[in-house]
Amino acid sequence: MRDARFDETIHAPLRLRICGLLRRVDRLDFALLRDTLGVSDATLSKHVRTLSDAGYVTSRKTASAGRSDARRVMWLALTAAGRTAFDAHVRALQEIAGPSS
Amino acid sequence: MESNHAEASRTAAEALDSLTMDRERLAGRLRVPWALMAAIGALAAWWVASAATARPGAAYEPPATGWIALLGVLVVAHLVQRETGARLGVMGARAAWATAGILVTCLALFSVSLGLVSLELAWAVALTSAVAFAVTTWLAGVAYRAAVEHVRRA
Repeated sequence: MRDARFDETIHAPLRLRICGLLRRVDRLDFALLRDTLGVSDATLSKHVRTLSDAGYVTSRKTASAGRSDARRVMWLALTAAGRTAFDAHVRALQEIAGPSS
Repeated sequence: MESNHAEASRTAAEALDSLTMDRERLAGRLRVPWALMAAIGALAAWWVASAATARPGAAYEPPATGWIALLGVLVVAHLVQRETGARLGVMGARAAWATAGILVTCLALFSVSLGLVSLELAWAVALTSAVAFAVTTWLAGVAYRAAVEHVRRA
């Protein structure tokens, strides 16, 4: 049975939204995630670090042919633990929100 | 007590709504990279055109272009990820059907091309090749758009 479990790490609004976007894809470019959420690099980095420390998000850097400098593209993805925790958290929110959600 | 519950319920509903709106925003940002879809179409056209140099019959050997074209498609798929900033993963049934449509169409056009070559109408392979380009480019776009719609839906 799939259980509902409230997760304090994920519950912060921006972290919930980060997980929500990453849950629907294999991985997202940091810049696309930042632009979709409408936040600054620093804000997103801070919350991604928190999720990484919890073992919910992984990041991987790859070279970018479209850039002449040494900057790299950072890919973000939910881990299996992150997917499980996010799904359980969403079920907990649905239970709290009631049948209309 | 009752008002606390109502407040929690409202906050939870808003959090769930924000997830839906974010998916909408992400899907809105993911445009079909038509230049790369055309590159997939060009690879399909090239493979179908390779039938013109084949020798249908008992001595038939499949051209090596099939493997090279497949490798090319993998490279283009990688470029699509780089271009769009997203690797979509699970694509959904509609995108899978469109992808299957590309395979079936290309196989059918390749078979027709071999038939044309055996009838000494090798020049007509240019037509099947052009059809392969158009259909593959269109279906690749349909598949990508369907995959984006899959992201949009919960």
